[in-house]
Amino acid sequence: MMSEAPIFHSKYSYHHDGKAQQLDIHEILVKRSRLGIFLSYSMVVVFLGTNVYFVTTKVFCILILTFFEVNIRSIWSILVCFLLAKFLHYNPVKKERVVIMPAFGVQLETHYWSGRIVRLFVPISKILSSMLNECVTPVTCYWSLALLLRDEGELMLVFQLIRSVQKLQPPLKMLVPVWKALRAAINCEETSIT
Amino acid sequence: MDQQRKHTILMVSDFFYPNFGGVESHIYYLSQCLLKLGHKTEPDLNAFAFKIGLVVVMTHSYGKRTGVRYVTNGLKVYYVPWRAFLMQNTLPTFYLTLPIIRTILIRERISIVHGHQAFSTLCHEALMHARTMGYKVVFTDHSLYGFADVGSIHMNKVLQFTLADISQAICVSHTSKENTVLRSGITPDRVFVVPNAVDTAMFTPSTCRLSCDEIVIVVISRLVYRKGADLLVEVIPEVCHLFSNVRFIVGGDGPKRVRLEEMREKHSLQDRVEMLGAVPHARVRSVLISGHIFLNSSLTEAFCIAILEAASCGLLTVLPDDMVVLSEPDPGDMVHAIRKAIVMLPSIDPYAMHQRMKKLYSWHDVAKRTEIVYDRALQSSDENLLRRLPRYLKCGSWAGKMFCLVMIVNFLLWCLLDLWQPVESIEEVPDLVFIRNEHEDVRIFVFLRLNGFRWRGMDCSQWVFGDAFIPSSGSGFCNRSGKFQWISEVAFIFRRVFDLRQRIRFRFVFRNGFGGLRLFCFVIALLLCVLNSVRFESGVSLIRMLVSFD
Repeated sequence: MMSEAPIFHSKYSYHHDGKAQQLDIHEILVKRSRLGIFLSYSMVVVFLGTNVYFVTTKVFCILILTFFEVNIRSIWSILVCFLLAKFLHYNPVKKERVVIMPAFGVQLETHYWSGRIVRLFVPISKILSSMLNECVTPVTCYWSLALLLRDEGELMLVFQLIRSVQKLQPPLKMLVPVWKALRAAINCEETSIT
Repeated sequence: MDQQRKHTILMVSDFFYPNFGGVESHIYYLSQCLLKLGHKTEPDLNAFAFKIGLVVVMTHSYGKRTGVRYVTNGLKVYYVPWRAFLMQNTLPTFYLTLPIIRTILIRERISIVHGHQAFSTLCHEALMHARTMGYKVVFTDHSLYGFADVGSIHMNKVLQFTLADISQAICVSHTSKENTVLRSGITPDRVFVVPNAVDTAMFTPSTCRLSCDEIVIVVISRLVYRKGADLLVEVIPEVCHLFSNVRFIVGGDGPKRVRLEEMREKHSLQDRVEMLGAVPHARVRSVLISGHIFLNSSLTEAFCIAILEAASCGLLTVLPDDMVVLSEPDPGDMVHAIRKAIVMLPSIDPYAMHQRMKKLYSWHDVAKRTEIVYDRALQSSDENLLRRLPRYLKCGSWAGKMFCLVMIVNFLLWCLLDLWQPVESIEEVPDLVFIRNEHEDVRIFVFLRLNGFRWRGMDCSQWVFGDAFIPSSGSGFCNRSGKFQWISEVAFIFRRVFDLRQRIRFRFVFRNGFGGLRLFCFVIALLLCVLNSVRFESGVSLIRMLVSFD
């Protein structure tokens, strides 16, 4: 009963493909804002420009010392520029994919804008359950989808495979179909065992 | 239910379970009774202009207990991971709690924010932010404070700031109302008196009546100056000397315990005075029913729940004339009062006392009265910042202007936060309803909203998931219409996992949320140190540099 139409919410969009070769594929794509990229790069340039002096000398060690020559006043500007660059930093993640192979396993993929793909496969027998967590941090509160694995004390996050300052936080309405599909796959496996 | 809008209350305080105390149990029992009121059958729904839908509690984290927890009857508690720094209070950061409070207020669709206890910094900050964002605010004061010492002066100023712009206030007794009004300068007509109550179901008299051959006097309180521990030190030997058949049981711990022990040694009363130490709340009843008389020697009490608990257990104590023996806070007078109590003892019927307590004090009554206060609070008009600022100016010549500045900065920060994280990007939480069917199996139903309107239109095809579950009986809530069969096992999984691995999830979350930021700050600090050690010759200039940012 799931809808095939994509769901959009701010910078995330959810796509579901349930018919490709008996695999269940759920994707969450992240939009990149051009302004964010421009600002972050320009901030890095400003940071380098104001704080690092290149002095042309013949002696190598003096070159190194003066490379580290930092003005007192610029300590504050270092911090500000660095923080701005970091927080306006574009999210390197292009999309996150969950491929559910019935009775076999679940593959979690992270595609980056640079072209790199990180994949993680979890066999179905290892998954105990999938759950939606409400995570509370000192400044915010968000939902995350996690897998409970057998014999392991840690939960495995489905959509946050990398730790970055800008976390992927897709909204709940996109997590719910993925969660439901995972539950269905796990339940099928349980019933087939018993 | 479709016609009336349900209201959600947010209870904010630094003090909540797993801490035990008067404020904590007040919040807990009040929330439970409000939840029960919110789920009453149809005819009662129209009694008030609004209906309580949900109650959410917000407090700081206690040790490893952080994140979202659900306690009895689906009461949702947010243990926000701000560490306590002094006597269970969060660090007062003024503006740093704004993002999380704003997020919680928006995602839970809160209508009223109810703060508890003047001593709680989280409460004051939450009320300040809620007022800035335009929510209706209610405050309950649980304690009496003085006027003379430095701590009280500061506390009263903070209270003046909070109560300058509040919708309604609640106090637990008339004395407390007088005290609050004098301390904060609020107009008395905005203060309601809603007394505390006692859980009479938990505090019942003993089934077998104790014999009056040996009279047992029970004292349960924190052994501090304020609770009159010094008076006890004088009174106990005197009474033991006058009456040979009297025994004391002293429960509780505190700085004055040493004095009581010394008194015991000095007068050789080891066999007549029993010291129990700290008594956990669950065992209080068993201690109370082992006695005939309850002695309370507090110098000052806003509302003493301990006395109610004792009276509910059938002990002779301080209450309506035939249940009470009052005295001045003076040892001689107290001994005289105890003598009177011993004489009165044979005529006391514990069960009759318990029944009277049940009628006089009940949490359901407190919840109903609190609902009236909420009703009144919601009827107050919405005002913008300019209208509200003059109220702060009345707080004092310097303080008033400072408070205005604080509120203006808060407003600006709120606007900035609105730009950084717009309201649309904060998702609302699906409602959870806990229902028991005839198998006493708690099934949890989740009702999702569409476009911010509840139950508007039934084109919910993209929200249906899980199997349709039709409870055969159960509450009227489910049988009311066929609409309420949206089932998700989101919370059901929560429940199962709570039983399995409670701590792991929240520890993981906390760590994950902070790992990147901590590492980042550490790297920055290291970089700065390295850069500065290369640049400057001595450490003194490093410190000078750190102090004077240009």
